[in-house]
Amino acid sequence: MERLSADSRREKVREAAYKTATTVAAVALVATIALFLVQLATASHASWRAFGLRFLWTTEWNPVTEQFGALPMIVGTLVTGFGALAISTPFALGIAIFLADYASKRVTEPFKYLISLLGGLPSVIFGLWGLIVLVPRIGRLEVWFGTLVHSEALVQAGTTGVGLLSSVVLLALMILPFSSSLILESLLLVPTELKEGSLALGATRWDTIQSIELPFVRKSTVGALVLALGRALGETMAVTMVIGNGMRMPRTLFDPANTLASAIANQFLEATSPLYVSALTELALILFVIAIVINIGARVILRRGVQQR
Amino acid sequence: MRTSRLHRVCLLLAVFLIAAVVAAGCSPSGGGGVKELSGAGATFPYPLYSKMFDVYESVSAVRVNYNGIGSGGGIKALTDKTVDFGASDAFLTDEEEQAMGAPVLHIPTCIGAVVLSYNLDGNPDLKLDSAVIAGIFMGSVRNWNDPAIAGLNPGVTLPDLAVTVVHRSDGSGTTSIFTNYLSMTSPAWKEKVGAGKSVAWPAGIGGKGNDGVAGLVKQNKGSIGYIELVYAIQTGMPYATVLNAAGTFVTPTLATVAAAANVQLPADLRVLIVNSPESTAYPLSAFTWILVYQEQHYADRSLDQARALKNLLTWMLGDGQQVNEGLSYGRLPEAAVTKARALLSSMTYDGTPVR
Repeated sequence: MERLSADSRREKVREAAYKTATTVAAVALVATIALFLVQLATASHASWRAFGLRFLWTTEWNPVTEQFGALPMIVGTLVTGFGALAISTPFALGIAIFLADYASKRVTEPFKYLISLLGGLPSVIFGLWGLIVLVPRIGRLEVWFGTLVHSEALVQAGTTGVGLLSSVVLLALMILPFSSSLILESLLLVPTELKEGSLALGATRWDTIQSIELPFVRKSTVGALVLALGRALGETMAVTMVIGNGMRMPRTLFDPANTLASAIANQFLEATSPLYVSALTELALILFVIAIVINIGARVILRRGVQQR
Repeated sequence: MRTSRLHRVCLLLAVFLIAAVVAAGCSPSGGGGVKELSGAGATFPYPLYSKMFDVYESVSAVRVNYNGIGSGGGIKALTDKTVDFGASDAFLTDEEEQAMGAPVLHIPTCIGAVVLSYNLDGNPDLKLDSAVIAGIFMGSVRNWNDPAIAGLNPGVTLPDLAVTVVHRSDGSGTTSIFTNYLSMTSPAWKEKVGAGKSVAWPAGIGGKGNDGVAGLVKQNKGSIGYIELVYAIQTGMPYATVLNAAGTFVTPTLATVAAAANVQLPADLRVLIVNSPESTAYPLSAFTWILVYQEQHYADRSLDQARALKNLLTWMLGDGQQVNEGLSYGRLPEAAVTKARALLSSMTYDGTPVR
């Protein structure tokens, strides 16, 4: 009897300890995000005061005259991020559907391993490969296209190969492992009864995929794509190596450009003037807000989708 | 049994976490017999400093930790008083020095140079002057067969090939030297672009670091970029001969780079030696500095620490200079060393000179 109550007391203490520990962890997460926002906002105060909202749509970035506008980097970030997503999504879906529904287990396992290997490669390796292998080929493609449409400007912009297009292609490749493996995992979770039922009713395999499996994994697919997009928007090292780091507004996909993350990584270390540092911090704040907006947007889309069903 | 082990593991983890938090909150305590100094800053002299500090540890038993985190980071660290010295490729502007809160001494340690490296078939030896360099980097000289380049290079066959400009994308002392030179010699550059560690480039593509620029130059036929002399020597890239202020074409070598400092130097040594009037000087040369507070009693520094720092810097101006040329950094001329020694002797602790 006594032993039992001692046990239960210990049980209670332990329960309380676990509860506290997990609560602390959860609160710490929320607090970290909030602190990030607060810190970024305070540190970018000087830039905010000097440029206000103009910071978002002016295109001059001049550390000498201390005129700062973020539009070229915002455009660069969005174009490379969404461009990469647009290119890689069909492939990600294709890979996932093939592995989940068409390939035999003997094929699927090594494929899954390869995908996770690709996903684990450090981005500097992607960057090096991009610079040495991808960029010259994209450059030749750009020059070919420029000659085709008789545009001297396109040929000139395309000669080096570095620029928006190279970054889009490289990022598409980099995020492919994320989106494809996440979609694959959720496709594998579709209950066999559903698939078998559909087939039993006379649906073809493609019918089943289209009207049973894809709707079933819609939510997780959007989640996977948002994660992939997040990686593309925040990627720094590989992008810096192939985007050309131009701080002017890009006019075509062939032009050198820059992204928010890459601009910060390039310039922060040697930035000494307070206003310059503050403007760079505001770039970080913008990137942070873009990430939040995209996440919230994905949630809204998902909720609306659910209601319609 | 299993759960209780899990329990213990959790407890242990919690203890570690708390310990880590507590440790992060405390700063390491300094003082005692000084065995260690720390500095942070410019990446350009990093190889030189690593070697110098290595040698210094063997002769003095004082270990120097240097972090090449960039000049901006070094200045910040010194402002925050978390290091014994900072290092920078550009001297502090009056405004920046004011932000430091106390007088700062600029001690030069070596002379570096920026060279123009290019990628052309047959690696011809090119001669350039500031007008052509400014034209190329402003995007007005667009082809290698432009009469402006050809005029300086009689006898060299220049291809009909577009010029691809490569510049640094990160802020750097190298860019500061390069743009200061162009601002000083080309009114058009001064008006349209100006000088700084980072500028709004009117043309070209950017590479991160010397290796980034060198990589893009190597990869693109017809490209030209500016990199540090040390880096060009180590990687065997071709570089141009440049017309100096005295009207001679000068190839960058350790001797011509050091010659740039043979000018009337101000006592505080905060000086740009680009476009040096000296007849044998390579025009794109510059000092790199170590920054220390003149008054050494700050944070909870001891007199011993101030002494150790002064000894280190004295050594770097003396025996330490022997390291320079082996690593392709220009040696300080005697006049600069004398002035730097005078600056060191003005170091104080509680107002009395450090001895």
